[in-house]
Amino acid sequence: MATKSFKGRPLLPGNLEGKALASKQPFNTSGSYLENLFGGNSTSAPCTDPNNKEFYKKELGGAIICTTLTVGSSLGGASLMGVASLGLGPKAMLFSEHIDSVSYAGLLMDDVWNGRRVITIDLLGDEFLEAVKTGDPISIQEDGTVMVG
Amino acid sequence: MKRRDFVKGAVMAPLVPASAALLSTPILAEAATPDKAAKAAKKAGSAGGKVPDYAGSIQTSDGSVTNPDGSTQKGFTHRNSNSQQVDPKAPYQMPLTQEEQDIMDGKKGPELAKVMKIVVGHGNAFGAPKLVELGGAPHCSLYTGTDYMKPMIDLFQECADAGLKTYAPYTVNPRCYDVYNVNNNETDMRLIYEGYKYQRDLDWVHAQLGAPDLNYRSCVCYAPEVGNAPPPGTYVAWAESSATNYGNSALGLRTNRNAGGMELLCGLLGKAPLFGLMTDEGRMANWLVEVKTTKEPDLGVLGSAIGYKVVDGVPFITGIDQYLGTEVSNDNMHLLKKMGSATAAAGAVGLYHVENLTPDAKEKGRNKLMKKGYQTYVYDDAEQARVLATFPVDWEGRPENPTVALIGCPHNTYKEILDWGTKVTEAIEKRGLKTAAIPTKLFCSNVVRDHLVKEHPVLVGKMTEANMRFTNMCTVSYVGMKDFSDRTFAVTNSPKTRNYYPSSRYLKDDALLEVILTGSIPSNA
Repeated sequence: MATKSFKGRPLLPGNLEGKALASKQPFNTSGSYLENLFGGNSTSAPCTDPNNKEFYKKELGGAIICTTLTVGSSLGGASLMGVASLGLGPKAMLFSEHIDSVSYAGLLMDDVWNGRRVITIDLLGDEFLEAVKTGDPISIQEDGTVMVG
Repeated sequence: MKRRDFVKGAVMAPLVPASAALLSTPILAEAATPDKAAKAAKKAGSAGGKVPDYAGSIQTSDGSVTNPDGSTQKGFTHRNSNSQQVDPKAPYQMPLTQEEQDIMDGKKGPELAKVMKIVVGHGNAFGAPKLVELGGAPHCSLYTGTDYMKPMIDLFQECADAGLKTYAPYTVNPRCYDVYNVNNNETDMRLIYEGYKYQRDLDWVHAQLGAPDLNYRSCVCYAPEVGNAPPPGTYVAWAESSATNYGNSALGLRTNRNAGGMELLCGLLGKAPLFGLMTDEGRMANWLVEVKTTKEPDLGVLGSAIGYKVVDGVPFITGIDQYLGTEVSNDNMHLLKKMGSATAAAGAVGLYHVENLTPDAKEKGRNKLMKKGYQTYVYDDAEQARVLATFPVDWEGRPENPTVALIGCPHNTYKEILDWGTKVTEAIEKRGLKTAAIPTKLFCSNVVRDHLVKEHPVLVGKMTEANMRFTNMCTVSYVGMKDFSDRTFAVTNSPKTRNYYPSSRYLKDDALLEVILTGSIPSNA
């Protein structure tokens, strides 16, 4: 497949290569990690949000999550910190829209306080989510460039 | 460290550019895929676990909103505030005062430096032009001592260990359970002691950072007895959807709907980044809501309707000042609370204006508050009936008749518990009943309850006889307990509780009173 390049805003920059986990639906931070937050699952992070048809039951641990933005409880940022402390947080979060204040609060707190970085880029545009599919090879550069394919 | 000694009372220092290259450390993460991560985790051999039945029901008072079609509503995007930047993708660093830069550089200790980095970094993402000094007192939504909160609790314990405190004593949301007043069964107690096993740690952190004792715990921090009601125009950093909604709207405060944790970091710093609902532009209305009902609307239904319609917009509401009056007071506080909390629960409204009533609307008027290109929503009798018809009235497996009345979500004010106590006990006497047909739980802070005990001790005695009990926990957390809706048929006048848990039936006050007295829902309810 032809490689497509997108330029976003590197909020928490970094370089990374991997495979995409993509959804055109918003990502519910609290609802997606119920097994980890409440179930004592410390080995994997299957998505527990049945409302997100594209992510449901997919492994979120170490994922490069491609989505619009996050929704849900205002404690969603704490949820991201919680799964990160288990070593099951995402490696990167790539947003097509402007980042929401809840997820960024958690990602930023964990980055600054605990040195646990989840590469975070927003403003990648609708075209990014149109182009990227789950399993696509994806390359992230420190300047916010994301290459798909 | 003494509170405020690093921010208050000083002449504003000249602005200087930040020398620290915030959040720009490149990392080369190891190539990873979800599958690889899962395999690696399994190889590590740690135990997995089944999600406990109660997990999905442990809610916060800012719980996510799921639509009937399964989609979720958007939350805290601050989309009503444009970025200050010409190019939102360009690198941005807000200017800092020398004092702020010194804190960032660690001159007030490494913990406060990290607090500053987080708060500034958060503001940078939303194009905030500067930090503003906070007044009044913080209100914090961190109240669930669950597993996933442990890293957050640890973070704030480190702050406490470093001697940090908030710039003023702060209020906190109610605890998620009450082991005294609501007859918990074995399952409830398991949830409480297993599900909230870090509650003690969280309570202890709050005590160290500046929260008063648990008698003041309430989501209605602005109740006079709790006392967190700063004057209009005060910048604060609050969390808890109903509190920020009321604070911005009825008190005229300036706060964003903060993510849990961010409000406390701002409280420790005494500053917050200026963006969103804290700005003049962000407080302009992008929706005109014209209420044209033939009589006083049901404020719970109206608030829900507005939330569904505008989601996270700012509505300017006309036509209800004739019912609510033209001054915000202790007499209409509960009405604004009811409507506003519904807008925040059904949608994500952080600020509304009521023509001729709320501070911004009275000061600026409709013309100056309406954003160019605003949309209009007409709410009349037909629309009220349509929205009310979407509220569930029946569901499989519940007891046939109501088993408990839940009043107070958000927490009751003094006027509410006085009015409900009077209404129920007088009706019991008038009808010659010995007691009420079902128990009533009145959710409020202990200090609000104590006010009633002091002013009306005889009435409180009668309320006890009528099986009315006070509890200071979070209603939403209580209703979310495992199997609650299987063994309990709750009726409530709270649109917020109904929104998060549709298995609680919403009733108008008159119908709710009838249920309390008879145990049955009137046919015309």
